[in-house]
Amino acid sequence: MFNKKTALTLGASALLVLTACGNGDSANEGEESEGASGEPNELTVWTWDPNFNVRALEIAEEHYKQDNPDFELEIVENSQDDVIQKLNTSLSSGVETGLPNIVFIEDYRAQSFLSSYPGSFVPLEEYYNTDDFADYKIKAGTYEDEVFNVPFDSGVTGLYVRTDLLEEAGYTLEDVTDITWDEYVEIGKDVTEKTGVKWMTNDHNDLGIIRVMMQSSGVWLTEEDGETPYITDNESLKLGFETYKELFESGVMNVHNDWDQFLQAFNNGEVATVPTGNWITPSITAEDSQSGDWAIAPIPRQTIEGSVNASNLGGSSIYVLNIDNNELAGEFLGATFGSDVDFYQDLATEINAIGAYEPAAEGEAYQVESEFFGGQMVNKNFAEWTQEIPEVEFGGSTYEIEDILAVSLQDYLNGADLDEVLEKAQQQAESGM
Amino acid sequence: MTEQPTVKKKKAGKLERKRKVMSWAFVIIPTFFIVVFYFYPMIQSLWLSLHSGAGIGLEFVGIDNYKRLFNDQAFITAVKNTFIFFIFQIPIMIFLALVFSVVLNNKSLKFKGLFRTLVFLPSITSLVAYSLIFKYLFANGGIVNQVLMFLNVINDPILWLGDPFWAKVLIVIAITWRWTGYNMIFYLSALQNVDPSIYEASTIDGASVIQQFFKITIPMLRPVILFTSITSTIGTLQLFDEPMNLTSGGPGNATTTISQYIYNLSFEYTPNFGYAAAVSYSIVFFVIILTVIQFRLGREKK
Repeated sequence: MFNKKTALTLGASALLVLTACGNGDSANEGEESEGASGEPNELTVWTWDPNFNVRALEIAEEHYKQDNPDFELEIVENSQDDVIQKLNTSLSSGVETGLPNIVFIEDYRAQSFLSSYPGSFVPLEEYYNTDDFADYKIKAGTYEDEVFNVPFDSGVTGLYVRTDLLEEAGYTLEDVTDITWDEYVEIGKDVTEKTGVKWMTNDHNDLGIIRVMMQSSGVWLTEEDGETPYITDNESLKLGFETYKELFESGVMNVHNDWDQFLQAFNNGEVATVPTGNWITPSITAEDSQSGDWAIAPIPRQTIEGSVNASNLGGSSIYVLNIDNNELAGEFLGATFGSDVDFYQDLATEINAIGAYEPAAEGEAYQVESEFFGGQMVNKNFAEWTQEIPEVEFGGSTYEIEDILAVSLQDYLNGADLDEVLEKAQQQAESGM
Repeated sequence: MTEQPTVKKKKAGKLERKRKVMSWAFVIIPTFFIVVFYFYPMIQSLWLSLHSGAGIGLEFVGIDNYKRLFNDQAFITAVKNTFIFFIFQIPIMIFLALVFSVVLNNKSLKFKGLFRTLVFLPSITSLVAYSLIFKYLFANGGIVNQVLMFLNVINDPILWLGDPFWAKVLIVIAITWRWTGYNMIFYLSALQNVDPSIYEASTIDGASVIQQFFKITIPMLRPVILFTSITSTIGTLQLFDEPMNLTSGGPGNATTTISQYIYNLSFEYTPNFGYAAAVSYSIVFFVIILTVIQFRLGREKK
């Protein structure tokens, strides 16, 4: 009796463990599944940011459903880090189950994915006209002469300024329009001195502002080939470091450590300007009490030949995975993000998203005057600046090199020689390739 | 009557055999799963560590990944940071845990259960949750800076998260808070086994409480201290959640740990799983070396 009982228990527990381990098909049919369902009319998307990317997809779904009533879009929202992690693990395992049909990838990371997993993404040129989009967006998703992305938000940068504080210090919006970073620093010192409010805020770990400077000058952390680190001879980067140090040491820079503190800094009125991507608009306008106090100006340029008052920060594009239903995914994206002017009007009106789709800028939603920004046509301005953004080759190692440079910046701020820290960074970046 | 013993023997032999079969069954099943889910991935990742390349484009490169480790500044910094963490953190934590356990073992102490729970409570909190709360407490305008400024200990807020030195201090404070109670439990249970008559005898001989602590308690707890210091070392070598959530390895790479570097290589940068596997094998190497050293030091002198 005893033996039988024990044997039974043993067998049962072994069975239990085994069934728990085998991820049978049943697991994929349940609600738990986050991969593509395989249903002919249903697509699965992985993305982040519920107020921006997810909303955009929902609006796209509504538009597409008008002609395709059977269509279903399953949106799986995770943080960007989690999306990257899941995508990496799924793609490297070589198994198709669990992959989505469509995924959002930040432009800086696109080349890394396209080169790491060749054949996993589908070229999309045939689904939309790439000439309708700003060149720098198309270039971000082009790998070996094929276009793999449908561009989404432009990432165009602007200088958000508090006009009331400018006025208090004796400046007008005109004074910060089309200026250089040197002028930006000088005005900042004056404004901070007169108003007691810091000029801008930054996180020493986030070199986004230096990326903005570099793209406005048409260069990047790697050379044209997208691989060779471009650090010691990079005038733009060097100048960027100098500007950064000046901003920090002159005491006009507030230092934050994470995203929440960043938002607090301008929502609480602790800083007078925010030089960043247009995706920050919803966060700026979230503080109702500051309505009418803000305005936007073009991002400052560098004192380098060819540098322009337009740049880009962290926009993303949409990619289709090479699994079943990829034709439907391509058609859906082509019909919405790729060519629907009305859709872009809704995006601009509802979530202030500026696409990189050029014909959209003619639409009505772009001609609206924003009360919050003192009557400026914010969307129109951003759309115009989008067209001026220089295109650069992001390559596949942006964040790798930036982590190295974050250390260099720290050393430089602590008094090390600029040429030496950059030389060290160059060597380190080269050894890691 | 004479046959009885043989029957018994036979029965006993049968029982014995059944018992053996059962015992082997109990051993084989877990062994099978350990082999499949532990040893197979271990060997597979060792094999993987001999490859390099982006994503799925892995090529066999022999021991090149291991050679690269020695020239990789980011890796060397991560190793340094990890060592700094455990060199400072483990002694502090073990000492605190010992003090707490001795105090809480005091027979005359009231509300013993309450105090023990309070000290132990941090170690059941989620790593991510407590890291995030620490981040708020130690923010530039956070409550810690406010209290310190109110008490006039400092004039300007300490940049806990933005200064390379203070960021390291913060990580040490955080993991000490989280793990002291956990280690205390081991000491507390070990103290229950120490014969109270030893303390009585030493009191009669005129030993002070401090002398008792260093001359009796610590030597008596030596094996447990050894055990906890080994597990803590291994834990610190694998430190990930706290730096990831508190400082994201920053400022610069001042608080990046080896585990976080592995994460960066796999998910933050263009993925190079081969090199990441090589870095993770370096942890195995360090764990073995440190454990051997600790065993040597912990062995009773003869």
